[in-house]
Amino acid sequence: MHNVISLEKVSFRFPEDELPVFEKVDLNVSAGERIVITGPSGCGKSSLLYLLNRLYPENCDGIVSGKVELFKKAAAEYAPGEINQRIATVFQDPDSQFCMQTVEEELAFTLENVKVPVGKIDERITRVLQETGLEDFRHSVIQTLSGGQKQRVATACAWVLEPEVLLLDEPLTHLDPVTAKEFVAWLRELHQTRDLTVIAIDHQVELWDGFFDREWQMAPAKVSSRIVKREPVHAGKIALSAKALAVSPILSPISFSLHQGEIAVLAGPNGSGKSTLLKALCGLKSTGGSVEPKRIGYVPQSPEFLFLTKSVRDELAFGGGDQVDEMIERLYLKPVSEAHPFAVSHGQKRRVAIGAMLCDGRPVIVMDEPTAGQDAAALTELENLIKARANEGVTFLIVTHDMNFAHRTAETLLLLKNGQLSGQFKPSAVWQNAQLLNAHRLCAPSGGVRFASPHESFG
Amino acid sequence: MLHRMNPSVKFVFITVSMIAMAFFFNPWTPLVFFTGVIFMQIAFAKIAWKTWSLMMLPFLLGAIGYFWTTLVFGNEDSTIGTALSLSFRVLAFSSLSLLFVFTTKPVDFIMSLMQQLKLSPKIAYSILVGYQFLPVLKDEFFQIQQAQQLRGVEVPKPPVKRVLAMRHVLIPMLAGAVRKAERTAFAMEARGFTGEGKRDFYRKISVSRADAAGAVLFLILLIGSMAAGFLS
Amino acid sequence: MLKSWKLKEVVLMSLFAVVFGIIYLLFLHVGNIWASLIGPIAYEWIFGIWFIVSIIVMAILRKPGAAVIPETMAAAIEVMLGNAVGPRLILAGVIQGLGAEAVFAATRYRHFNVGIYMLAGAGAAVFSFVYGYLLGGFAALSTEYVLLMFVIRVMSGAIIAGIGGKYLVDALLATGSLRGYAITKRDAHA
Repeated sequence: MHNVISLEKVSFRFPEDELPVFEKVDLNVSAGERIVITGPSGCGKSSLLYLLNRLYPENCDGIVSGKVELFKKAAAEYAPGEINQRIATVFQDPDSQFCMQTVEEELAFTLENVKVPVGKIDERITRVLQETGLEDFRHSVIQTLSGGQKQRVATACAWVLEPEVLLLDEPLTHLDPVTAKEFVAWLRELHQTRDLTVIAIDHQVELWDGFFDREWQMAPAKVSSRIVKREPVHAGKIALSAKALAVSPILSPISFSLHQGEIAVLAGPNGSGKSTLLKALCGLKSTGGSVEPKRIGYVPQSPEFLFLTKSVRDELAFGGGDQVDEMIERLYLKPVSEAHPFAVSHGQKRRVAIGAMLCDGRPVIVMDEPTAGQDAAALTELENLIKARANEGVTFLIVTHDMNFAHRTAETLLLLKNGQLSGQFKPSAVWQNAQLLNAHRLCAPSGGVRFASPHESFG
Repeated sequence: MLHRMNPSVKFVFITVSMIAMAFFFNPWTPLVFFTGVIFMQIAFAKIAWKTWSLMMLPFLLGAIGYFWTTLVFGNEDSTIGTALSLSFRVLAFSSLSLLFVFTTKPVDFIMSLMQQLKLSPKIAYSILVGYQFLPVLKDEFFQIQQAQQLRGVEVPKPPVKRVLAMRHVLIPMLAGAVRKAERTAFAMEARGFTGEGKRDFYRKISVSRADAAGAVLFLILLIGSMAAGFLS
Repeated sequence: MLKSWKLKEVVLMSLFAVVFGIIYLLFLHVGNIWASLIGPIAYEWIFGIWFIVSIIVMAILRKPGAAVIPETMAAAIEVMLGNAVGPRLILAGVIQGLGAEAVFAATRYRHFNVGIYMLAGAGAAVFSFVYGYLLGGFAALSTEYVLLMFVIRVMSGAIIAGIGGKYLVDALLATGSLRGYAITKRDAHA
């Protein structure tokens, strides 16, 4: 088999930085191979992929050294856009990879770009929609599709170019586990019709279910931290009680209560009303019922939506709490306490948000999809953060599709479907109940604690 | 028929008509023009008149404001006639604008600017990206506002303070927009878009006989309303 | 001119235009209600909001066209959203944008500080006023009244677009999200 991609001692650096993103990387991919590139976030996987479809170095004025050869020709010798017909890409964010309104227009845009004669475009679109099983979506408005459907459309847009190499830039990151598995099964079938080379980056190789021939680890995984041990919940004391919360037509009346220091996970299919329920709890939606206490802490999926000030310290102090310094200490925010809250890492942003809520005297915290798009290290950090706070008596209600996370963290599982609460369960009872799992589009956890190696504690 | 006109042709005629109107200070020219535009819409277009009226209402209010402003603050040559003229001009402009808005598909307009008026594809497709991001960004706007309300930020009533309070929402939105812009641009480039060179279009926006007919109509109306002004 | 533009920069302009388009629309309604009560002068004090996108994008990208193009795009997107002001908004956008662009061009795109931004805001105000004078028939109004409108608009341009623009750009820069754009380049503050 001949090499389609060959990297020799490649280093890459952004012009603003002193240090390279990666150094002296060697990689050969032969035709027809299916390879997945793994490594902790920040190791330069995406930058490497962008060197292969020529988005880099031009787009960031990056500095490359070493030899990058695509189809036996130096990458720099290709004209702009030339390589993209032979090497197509699907990106991770389903919401920002389209420029036209409908599926047909997006496919036509793609074919126009590579100068397919206008007379042939209709035929090519019809064919690719057949191959991908998306015939019914030809005239659909892309923004109205679900995340999984959008990723299929993005794949169809790559497929229609009839490329020799398909690059996948973490395409499952924003999909829930069931949808992700469906996408992989669909892609596997599609791949059988054409024998092209696939190069993917992803941190959830297990979701791919043996799709790849080879895994290439770009950098060793960071040694994971020790898991905080959970202390038993003090039964008896009710910290959150919701009575007959209803938002018509999305939510039927819902009542439940959580104990002090309890960690609960709220799960259910997309559109079942999870976000609405969170907003109702926080008093952002008017409901017929009542919530006790009145002031509940809320951490959105993008924690920066909450931020109002110019430093981490000010952010915690915004609500006027008096325990700011102690909280900064406890949440390990000391090194960044004077930094801009937008400029810190995602995990730190989340800690800032939680810290702000706690300083504000909101000991019950609801979190909207904090696990989405997080790699293993980030998930461990999140888990520790939540467990340590719960041990201190903070109560959590967390929306997530990730049942591995729920299994490791939660004492209680609230399942929601069509705006109705199916019940409040012990997680272990749900894992046994395939019917319940299917009805709420959930995957049973794949088992146990993933990382056990002892390391420095991280609260 | 107005629906079938080429968006760029319509755009050019509407702009020319408006510039022409700017030279008339008698009440009749804009009044005749306004009436004519409404008749054109009744005869040659399908309009949701209820929505039309709702959209026209603010302009009617604006026209009233114009009327008394000109009466009170007009210069020595101004008469009631001038005041009426300016108010009717507001109405004439607005009816023209609504004619455009109600008979033109937004995406077709940009495609037509690219195909007929040679707007650069880089700009045209970027505008289309912006357009399809609108619902997403609008949603984000309200989400951020809600999240910040939870932290005790009220939306103040006084307008000046409201402008200032907007900054809290704007920063996360703009920061997000930078990220979304880069991702989308990368996706477009990864599909071979360069923005350079000649481009042929799968869906062509054409210039047809409807445009000739529309052009004649606009000209008759324009000349007629000017004549009405001279005659009075 | 467009050859030197990266696609991500043009899309950035467009998305900023949408964000400010949403803000513009919110304020247009406020302006409309007032306009019936106090006449066309109602729009004058908030006019600066209409110019802010030119100044912010120019401050970030620092290239010829970075004032006039986003302002025009903002207008085009508003028309697509069904803004009842319609096609004449596009013309207004081009003219306002040129007003701000003229100031940056006069410095040969070398100086970027709050003074220049205020001048650019004022420049946009002056250009837009000339356009409004013709289309709005301000000639029929008394000189004092027109002068008052003019002064309010120029001040609004300088303060809201100039100072407000500078404030927003600085706040955005502090978030670290503008990495890789001209504003963060090492020689940017020379």
